[in-house]
Amino acid sequence: MAHITINQYLQQVYEAIDNHEGSFCAELLSFKHPHVANPRLQLASPEEKCQQVLEPPYDEMVAAHLRCTYAVANHDFVEAYKFQTLVVQSFLRAFQSHKEENWALPVMFAVTLDLRIFANNAEQQLQKKGKAQPSEMLEKAAEQLMSCFRVCASDNRAGIEDSKKWGMMFLSNQLFKIYFKINKLHLCKPLIRAIDSSNLKNDYSPAQKVTYKYYVGRKAMFDSDFKLAEEFLSYAFHHCHRSSQKNKRMILIYLLPVKMLLGHMPTHQLLRKYDLMQFADVTKAVSEGNLLLLNEGLSKHETFFIRCGIFLILEKLKIITYRNLFKKVYLLLRTHQLPLDSFLVALRMMQLEDVDIDEVQCILANLIYMGHIKGYISHQHQKLVVSKQNPFPPLSSIS
Amino acid sequence: MLRQSYPRVLDKAEACLEEIEKLLVECTDGDYKDNSTSLDCLRDIKMTSKDISQQLAGSHPQRRDVATGGEWRQRTQEQWRGQGKVLVRGTEEDEQGKGIVPLGTCQTMCPTRELRDREAQNRLHRFEILAGTEKDRRPRGDPLHAVKEYSRPAAGKDLTNSTDLRPPAVLLKTVCYLIDDIAASPTLHPCSETNCFVFDRMRGVKQDMIIQRVSGLDCVAILERTVRFLIYASYHLCGEPLGLYDPIINDTHLQENLSWLLDCYATGLGPHPNQEEFQALGLLYNLGSARATQHIMALPAKLRSTPSIRLALSINRAHLERNPVRLLRLAQRLNFLQCCALHRHLVTCRRDLLLIFSHAYSSRNCWFPLDTLAQLLSLDTSLTTQLCETYGMEVNHDNKVVFSKAGFTEPEQGKLYCQVYHSLVGEKQRDLTVGSIIHGCA
Repeated sequence: MAHITINQYLQQVYEAIDNHEGSFCAELLSFKHPHVANPRLQLASPEEKCQQVLEPPYDEMVAAHLRCTYAVANHDFVEAYKFQTLVVQSFLRAFQSHKEENWALPVMFAVTLDLRIFANNAEQQLQKKGKAQPSEMLEKAAEQLMSCFRVCASDNRAGIEDSKKWGMMFLSNQLFKIYFKINKLHLCKPLIRAIDSSNLKNDYSPAQKVTYKYYVGRKAMFDSDFKLAEEFLSYAFHHCHRSSQKNKRMILIYLLPVKMLLGHMPTHQLLRKYDLMQFADVTKAVSEGNLLLLNEGLSKHETFFIRCGIFLILEKLKIITYRNLFKKVYLLLRTHQLPLDSFLVALRMMQLEDVDIDEVQCILANLIYMGHIKGYISHQHQKLVVSKQNPFPPLSSIS
Repeated sequence: MLRQSYPRVLDKAEACLEEIEKLLVECTDGDYKDNSTSLDCLRDIKMTSKDISQQLAGSHPQRRDVATGGEWRQRTQEQWRGQGKVLVRGTEEDEQGKGIVPLGTCQTMCPTRELRDREAQNRLHRFEILAGTEKDRRPRGDPLHAVKEYSRPAAGKDLTNSTDLRPPAVLLKTVCYLIDDIAASPTLHPCSETNCFVFDRMRGVKQDMIIQRVSGLDCVAILERTVRFLIYASYHLCGEPLGLYDPIINDTHLQENLSWLLDCYATGLGPHPNQEEFQALGLLYNLGSARATQHIMALPAKLRSTPSIRLALSINRAHLERNPVRLLRLAQRLNFLQCCALHRHLVTCRRDLLLIFSHAYSSRNCWFPLDTLAQLLSLDTSLTTQLCETYGMEVNHDNKVVFSKAGFTEPEQGKLYCQVYHSLVGEKQRDLTVGSIIHGCA
C-alpha cells in the first residue's frame, strides 16, 4: 500500500467512489493514512493524471489532495492549507450532488479534520515568520466548515438512515475547537441551537457526544451557568473512554472548579491520578476557609490556570472560602449572636490588611443574600445574628 | 437637528437588519422541521422590525440598559469586524486585479470633490462654512474647516478612489483638529452638537483607515484619541435625549475602536507608551465581562503588575465578588477618565449594595444610619435618600434607613436618572480641559 504507483492509487480511489465505500475512500484522502508518505504520490502537478481516471469534481479533489501531500512533504503548511481548502471545496460540490445518500460522510470527516489541522499549522508557521494576521487562517477554515455544516443541516429530504445530518455533530466539534482557540465563543450558539433541535442528538457516536458535551460544558462555564456546566462536563467525564487519560484530564481541569463551586471537593487521590496537583492547595484552602493559602495557591500556579482559562472561576471560590472561614468563627464562638469584630479578626489573620468593618458587613451581606448564611446583621449591636437551625446550609443545597 | 439624528436612525436600522439576516442564517443552520427554532427566529424578527419602526417614528422609549445590551453589543461588534473584512477583501481583489492597495493622496481634511458636492447640495455643517457666507443662499465651504463625512458603503459606490482618501498623517491631523478646534472649543455650543459632528467625522476617519488598511503608530495614535473621546462622551452626554446622544451606538463604536486598538498593541511593533492606560480603561469599561478579564489575565505579567492595571483588576475582582463597598472605595483612587469608563457600572453597583443590604439587614427593629450608607455609596445624604426611595427602601425621620427584603423593588424603566448621581466622577474633572482629557495629557 505504502509504495503503490499513482495509477494504482487513482484506481483505488475510483473504485472506492464507484462502490460508495466511504471509509476506504476517507482513508485514501486522509493524512492519518500512510499513503501520504509515499514519494511516488507526492506530485507537484497531478491534475492531468487525475482527469484521466476520475470524473469531475473528484479529479480536482484528488489532485488537490496529492499536491497537498507534496506541500506537507516540503513542510510548507501555508501551501498545504491552500490545497486542503480546495479538497474540501470540491468534495462539497460532489457531496451536494449526492441526493439522499450519506456514504461520503467519513470522507467529509477526514478532509475537514485535516483542514483544521493545516490551518493551525499554517498559522504557526506564519507567526514564526512574523507576518500572520492572528487567527486569519482559522477563521477562513471555520467558514469552510460552516459551509459543510449548512449542507448537512439542511438535508431534510433523506430518511434518517441516509441523512447527512449525521455529520453535524462532528462538524460542530471541529468548529468549537476553532472558536475556543480564537476566543469567539459566542459563535458556538447557533451550532448548539441546531444540534439541540435535532432529533438525532442522542444517537451520535459516544466519542462525538463526549467532545460535544465537553465544549458545551466549557461554554456554559464561561457563561457562568455552573449547574449546566457540571451536567455536561460530568457526562463527558463519565463517558470518556477509560484509555483516554489525557482527555479525561482535560475534562477534569474544567469540571473540578465547577464542582468546587457547587461544594464538592476533589480527593487527593483523584488529583494525583490525573496529575492535577496544581489544584491541591486551592482545594485545601477552600475547604479550610484559608484565604491566605487560596491566594498563594492561585498565584503559584497562575500561569497554568490562566492558560486553561479558569483563573476567573477559581477566584469565585473566594466567596465559598469566606463562607467556610466564617463558619469556623461561628463554631468557635458557639453563639448565635456573633460580634462583627470577630470576623474582622479572622480576616486580619488571613493577612487581609486593608479590610475594615464596613467591608466585613458587605461580605456578610452578600453571603446572606446568596443564601450561604441564614441570619441577619444588626447594625446597632454590630452583630451577626444567625439562625438556630442550620445557619450555614450545605453548599450543594444552594443554587 | 433632524438631519443629524437621521443617520443615527439609519445606523440602528442597519444594525437591526443585519441582526435579521443573522437570525435567518441561524435559522437555516438549524432544523427546518423544528418549529420552535423557526418560531423563535420569527419572533425575534418581529421584535426587531418593531424596533425599527419605533426608531423611525422617533418615539423610542428608554432603550435596553447596559446589562441586557451586552450580547447585542458583542454581535454588532462581530458584524463590524465582518464589514471591515468585506472592505479589506475588496481591496485584496483590487490588489490582484490592479496590483495596488488603495493609498490616499488627499492632503486636506475634506476631499475637494466632496466639498464641492456638499456645497452644491447645501449640506455643509455650520462648523464648515466659510466665515461671512453664512447668510448667503448657498454658503461656501471653508477648506480649512470642512471634514470628510462618514458615508455609508453602498452598492456601486467606489470607496477606494485615492483622491478621496486621506493618508494616515492627514487622518491624525484631522483627529487633532476635531479635538482641539471642535470638541475642546470654548465657543462652539451646544456640546451635544459638537459631539455629533466629531462623532460622525471620526467615523469617517476610521473608514478611511479600514479601506487603506492603516496600521502602525499613526493608527494607534488615532485610535487612542477616538477611544478617549468616546469614553468621555459616554459620561458627559449621559442623560441627553436619545436624538442627540445614543448610549448604545456610542458603546458599539467604543467597543470596535477599543478592540482594534488592543489588537494593534498585540500585533504591532511598539513602542506603545499608552498601552497600560488603555488596557486598564478597557477592563474598567467592560467590568465583569469574562472576555475582558480573560484578555487582561493573558497579558504579560510585567504589564499586568503596573499600578493602573492592578487597580482596575482589584475593582474588577470586587465586582466579581459582589463587594460594592470595596468597589466604590477603590473607585475613589481612579483618575477622571478611568472614572468615566467605570461610570456606566455605578448604577448597578449601587443597586447591588442596596439589594444585598436589604436582604442582610432585613429585621424588625433594625435600622441603618443614613450618613454611613451615604458614605458607602459615595453620595450625599439627600441623594442617598432619593436612591433608597427609588428602590423601595424607607428612610425615616431620624435619618435611619429601614431595610426590608420584601420592600426592595427595581425602579421602573426611565425612573432612575444616572446623571443625578454623577458626583463621584464629576468631582474628579475639576479644571481638566476637554483637550487635555482626549489627548491624554491629563
